[in-house]
Amino acid sequence: MDTVLAQAIINGLLLGGVYAAYSAGFSLIFGVMGVVNLAHGELIMLGAFTSYWLFAYFNLDPYLSAPVAMGLLFLFGYVVQKYIINRVIGQPHIMSYILTFGLHLMVANIAIKMWTQDFRSITTSYSGANAAIWGLNIPYARLVTFIVALFVTWGLWFFLMRTETGRAIRATAQDKEVARLMGVDIRNIYAITFGLGAAITGLSGSVMSPFVIISPEMGLEYTIIAFCVVVLGGMGYMPGALVGGLVLGVAQSLAATYLNAGVSVAITFIILFVMLIIRPRGLLGKGSVA
Amino acid sequence: MTSLECKKVSMKFGALAAVQMVSFSLNSGEILGMIGPNGAGKTTLFNCVIGVYRPTSGKIYVNGIDVTGMKPHKVCRIGLAKTSQIMEPFTGMTVFENVLVGALHGGRMKMGPASYKTEQVIELVGLNEYAYKLSGSIPVPVRRRLELARAIATGANILLLDENMAGLNPHEIDEALEILKKIRDSGKSLIVVEHIMRVVMGISDRIIVLNYGSKIAEGLPEEVVNNEAVIKAYLGEKLSSLKVA
Amino acid sequence: MNYRIDRIILILFLMFTGAVAFVPYLVQSEYQLRVVTVVVLWVGIAGCWNMMSGYTGYIDFGPVVYFGIGSYVVAIAMTKYSVPFFPSLFLSGCISAFVAFLVGIPTLRLRGAYFAIATFAFAEAMKQITLEFDRTFNVSFFQGSDGITLPISNYENSFFFYCILPVTFLVVFTHYFIEHSKFGYALKAIKEAESAAEISGVNTTANKLVAYVMSAFFLGLFGAIEAYWITYITPSDVFNVQKTVQMVIMTLLGGMGTFLGPVVGATFLTLISETLGAQFVEYYLIMIGAIIIVAILIMPSGIIGGLKIRKKLRFI
Repeated sequence: MDTVLAQAIINGLLLGGVYAAYSAGFSLIFGVMGVVNLAHGELIMLGAFTSYWLFAYFNLDPYLSAPVAMGLLFLFGYVVQKYIINRVIGQPHIMSYILTFGLHLMVANIAIKMWTQDFRSITTSYSGANAAIWGLNIPYARLVTFIVALFVTWGLWFFLMRTETGRAIRATAQDKEVARLMGVDIRNIYAITFGLGAAITGLSGSVMSPFVIISPEMGLEYTIIAFCVVVLGGMGYMPGALVGGLVLGVAQSLAATYLNAGVSVAITFIILFVMLIIRPRGLLGKGSVA
Repeated sequence: MTSLECKKVSMKFGALAAVQMVSFSLNSGEILGMIGPNGAGKTTLFNCVIGVYRPTSGKIYVNGIDVTGMKPHKVCRIGLAKTSQIMEPFTGMTVFENVLVGALHGGRMKMGPASYKTEQVIELVGLNEYAYKLSGSIPVPVRRRLELARAIATGANILLLDENMAGLNPHEIDEALEILKKIRDSGKSLIVVEHIMRVVMGISDRIIVLNYGSKIAEGLPEEVVNNEAVIKAYLGEKLSSLKVA
Repeated sequence: MNYRIDRIILILFLMFTGAVAFVPYLVQSEYQLRVVTVVVLWVGIAGCWNMMSGYTGYIDFGPVVYFGIGSYVVAIAMTKYSVPFFPSLFLSGCISAFVAFLVGIPTLRLRGAYFAIATFAFAEAMKQITLEFDRTFNVSFFQGSDGITLPISNYENSFFFYCILPVTFLVVFTHYFIEHSKFGYALKAIKEAESAAEISGVNTTANKLVAYVMSAFFLGLFGAIEAYWITYITPSDVFNVQKTVQMVIMTLLGGMGTFLGPVVGATFLTLISETLGAQFVEYYLIMIGAIIIVAILIMPSGIIGGLKIRKKLRFI
């Protein structure tokens, strides 16, 4: 295999792992509540900014500030769901799209007001450092983030499968009326679910911060990628986010290597459109269809 | 004359055969009862007949026309309408408009004649006092009648009534039975799926019995009720002594 | 009784449109004329979205694609093939409608969030394709991010006002037609319960497709007129997702699936953005976000929708 191809695939996999981590939260929120969260990218932005400010003021390593981002975003998600989004659950789906779009506008523009539109980045001692194996470059930061991302996706899966709260969440996703009858506090479960989705998304934003450009307007692009990943993997099917993320990461990386970056965006959307039409349940066929 | 004929209809979902080689026919002006325990395949069979599912094998003829695999709206226009077990009124519309949709599209009528037809149907099923209420705000028994009215308004000569009397009290059932007889007398053929034995036994000219997706018996109500296989599968030991008047 | 109110509303609407037609003679400045034109334009554009998504409940998140196609068709026809404006305009509508027909067949089978995402993806894909096409295939057709400059017209603003007004009038009148026709009942039935509509004899596929294609046709016209008015287009402008968002929000504020909803919503929001937007540029988007959230929480049926429920009106 030639080096350029191998490098493109490795870059794609590293990218895809991160896509998977932040899309898992999107998939969780959709799977449980049927809410397409158009403010998803803002959660990533907030996570990245948490790490940025902790780095700027306390020189705290982004990987160490990740738990802080996770905690803050959980609170943020919990409150938003409990006091805002819960009020439109059960109404036509469009209400939730529009509501979260309103949130997207507010959060992004308040962030611009507070932090200006400047592009920022975090420069650590290991920024730009590569491991060179068989003539291939593997940036350390991306590798660590990739591993964290896989761990997070697995952790979410484990949480849903093995804990009491996780079971309550899955029960609610399957049939909220029955779950209610079994004594599950639906509104609270919804708030926890959104909080959880926000927490892992914020964490992903935080661990991505060493190598992405951070700006208040970064969110929308990530929301769109999360869409695409989740559709590839199957909406609401959690392990699908991993498959979708890796497939999309590699596809984009190959397009960017052999064509150009603009075409790679076009390909993202074409894949998304075609997938929805021919396999709306995702590559594995395990997603839910509304 | 035969209005509806199913020939060896089967429907499989993966390995599960929900309906297996079911054949039956419905004569015009007849009321055919269909019974069977929960999960016997009644609703699946109905969905094949109206075109929601395409049967895995077999043929379905409505008024002599092969409708196998046709879309529901076409089957409806050829002459077969169904009321759903799960009631689905168009909640943002009035009762009148709900029925009007059936007349306009199922009956392929223009606005004027469709309104006239709608008024007649509403009169027939006794929905007059509710005609201008939003269909989302009316009680369940009225919704059942609305489903029926919408199906009649399509002008279909065959009606499939999937548990149209579930949840009604005895008095309401009597009213509903009167309406069904009126509909039959107006020249339509009906298939009635019900769990309430009094209804099926009292109104059906003929009954077919499904169990595990297959037809296990067919005949006059009194024959069916005395049939060994049926008693075993469905009615249970206690009802074996049931006498039908 | 409601039918009489309905007639009155139609007459009022016709009189109002007639009155609006005299605006170019009444305004004191070109700025005022521009504002009125923009309001009329957005009433029409929001109406296009309402025609499809408001009545059928299929949430289209990519209507801007037909606006963009309209803009590009008129630009390419006029610059590359020297076709005069009005034939190009007509061509824009037709090509938009044709693309909508091809795209509608597969996408209208999808429901709920899937339809919304598919339309969104299609619109973004088209934007990227117009951006990258020339560079990838080494030609000069869409002219990528450089955009296309249309022939400069000698027309006054009032010319564009009189181009837009009839199209908007047609869009609103189509709503009136939808409210009173067999076609309209089909759309509403699809919105309320699609499978029930189907077994009641409604040809759901055909009716959805007609609504989708109609909406695309009008959007194509608006895209073409705006392109000629502004004289310079780029993919990022004409396929801007912000336009979709505006259509959705205007309709939602006014009331989805109502005859006057887009009229009220678009007028309200355009005037707000012209006044508040000009004075508080920095806070404008934050305020829009807040308005959306508050509107959804306290009046989910919109201004007209709420009125309709409270006053038990049928057709407004």
